[in-house]
Amino acid sequence: MWKYFAKRLGMMAVALFFIILLTFIIMHSIPGGPFTSDRKVSAEVEAALNAKYNLDAPLYEQFFDYLGGVLRGDFGPSYEYTGKSVNDFIANGFPVSAKLGVITMVFVLLASIPMGILAAVKNGKWQDMAVMAVATIGVTIPSFVIASVLIYIFSFRLNWLPTYGVDTWKGYILPVIALGGYSVSYLARLMRSSLLEVMGQDYIRTARAKGLSETKVILRHAMRNALIPVITVLGPTVANLLTGSFVVEKIFAIPGLGVHFVNSVSQRDYTTIMGVTIFYATFLLAMIFIVDVFYCLIDPRIKYE
Amino acid sequence: MEQKWELLSSTNEDREKIWTKNRTFAGDVWFRFRRKPTAIAGFVIIVLLVCFAVFGPFFTKYSYSDQNLEVVNIPPVMKVYEAPDGEGYLYITQSLKVVYVNPDGTLGEQLTRVRSEDDQMMTIFDCNGTEVALYYGQKPYVIADQETKIIYPSTTMWNRSYILGTDALGRDILTRLMYGTRISLLVAFIAAGVNMVIGILYGGISGYTGGNTDTIMMRIVDIISTIPLTLYVILIMVLMGNGLHSIIIALGSVYWVDMARVVRGQMLSLKGQEFVLAARTIGSSTKTILLEHLIPNAMGSILVTVTMLIPSAIFMEAFLGYVGIGLQPPLASLGTMCNDATANLRTCPYQLFIPALMICMIMFAFNFVGDGLRDALDPKLKK
Repeated sequence: MWKYFAKRLGMMAVALFFIILLTFIIMHSIPGGPFTSDRKVSAEVEAALNAKYNLDAPLYEQFFDYLGGVLRGDFGPSYEYTGKSVNDFIANGFPVSAKLGVITMVFVLLASIPMGILAAVKNGKWQDMAVMAVATIGVTIPSFVIASVLIYIFSFRLNWLPTYGVDTWKGYILPVIALGGYSVSYLARLMRSSLLEVMGQDYIRTARAKGLSETKVILRHAMRNALIPVITVLGPTVANLLTGSFVVEKIFAIPGLGVHFVNSVSQRDYTTIMGVTIFYATFLLAMIFIVDVFYCLIDPRIKYE
Repeated sequence: MEQKWELLSSTNEDREKIWTKNRTFAGDVWFRFRRKPTAIAGFVIIVLLVCFAVFGPFFTKYSYSDQNLEVVNIPPVMKVYEAPDGEGYLYITQSLKVVYVNPDGTLGEQLTRVRSEDDQMMTIFDCNGTEVALYYGQKPYVIADQETKIIYPSTTMWNRSYILGTDALGRDILTRLMYGTRISLLVAFIAAGVNMVIGILYGGISGYTGGNTDTIMMRIVDIISTIPLTLYVILIMVLMGNGLHSIIIALGSVYWVDMARVVRGQMLSLKGQEFVLAARTIGSSTKTILLEHLIPNAMGSILVTVTMLIPSAIFMEAFLGYVGIGLQPPLASLGTMCNDATANLRTCPYQLFIPALMICMIMFAFNFVGDGLRDALDPKLKK
């Protein structure tokens, strides 16, 4: 088992190396340097700037320089904002995003699993239909549409909730729903189908035959196996929340990392794009790895390759 | 005993009659597919939407980039006041101008401003020789007679010039919706097609060749699938700049991983079967076996994966447009239309809801068709 984890860690390192390499190549193949702008800068100034940021060195040297920096946790300076480093952006933005992300994750789990169980237990009845209808809507509507409709109804029309900011707990309600809507629906559908599948198995009949109550059968026996597919997709769900936060943070004006990323894209702030991409990728790989470890610990049937 | 049944002579042809016609694979799939009302509904919606996007622009007199700053932000249903001439109507725009509305609901000219009476909170406009006053002292603003201060009777009517209203630059939303749907569908279809080809080739070669090639190719796929794709689409967009071709390339180059896995899985299970052995025995080349025997057999799962891929491409395109990295204006896609509309969501919610509704319809339709196809192609999966 430890061998398997070590192998996964090795693969993660390889993946991360390629991510850094690819990001670096993409960012450096964009025509024009970071200091090419409408205002003409004299050749000496440009040379001085290039020397300051080490842009006159050969590309491979720049790459290893950058790689060394990333390994030390230093993503370099921002090209757009003088005196700010990419690390500053991450240090400022990530805690805000992470808080929103954690709250959303809790909401997703608390909403989707009971919804899935309800739908599976009441299979074919109206409760099932209702859950599935909500889940279908949630999977098909983009988060920005959900967010805009929610703002329109709850902020503009009813004046109940603020349209932007997360200063109070009320500010979290709409962003969390908009961000988690897709994942709630997806996980609820998954939970329902996996529980339905498990409920048809022989050991459930045995449990019932022993005279256990239905609640016990479901929570003790069926849920253990039915949760496994749900746990598998938790990694991708985290990824989903992360990229979804670009849009949701933009709409609700939450000063998180997603907004910084989107802004840096539209401002062509190359070092920030690179730094945040690599940071996101590392974070995601780590989350997927953690989910994998959990998965192996929970399901003894998993074979390690 | 009387003979109740008369024995007829039987021939070989009669024996054939009890057999029903053999259904082809496609016929079989169609038979199961059409049993599902949601799938059929989805299919019909897709056909209608494609017609709307392809042929719609021929029937509108506006183009997607025609700006008319006189008629900015006019909703599909307008609250209008009766004009003093007793025939037409007057509509107050959000920028406090007054537009003349013809009796049939088409929009006329903007009225010319005569003077403003700031102390009375009124602006006086000239309506075919008569002076009318726009009173802006309280919401909602009203149009009244300046002398008598009598508010003209109001009514609501449909906007016949711009059936779905106009956006913040006075462009016809219906026309933009047609072009937007066209671009969104185009991007999705091309991206899905490109991904299908790459995925089939990659997965086919990997699965059929097997051995070390397979291991290495699948390791590469494993690494790629750990990379968050949204980030890479964004990076490619940054690299190539905004525009239709860069969206297509960006989306076309990243989503093939799932397809490759599906095809490889199919290859692995199919290549051990007898018909492949038979093909090899008669000396077919690898290429023939792959293209004529294995891939057609795997087509079911490939099709299902593609129909599931189209909505995610549309989702992604809308997402990019919404974040502001997508098409170059004035080109419209459904995502950029939503993005443009967020600025004045409070006053003109219809500008957002119309394209949003369109996205939802497309997503529903493709999801339903995808579900239907999956059940039709693979009855084993059906519960």
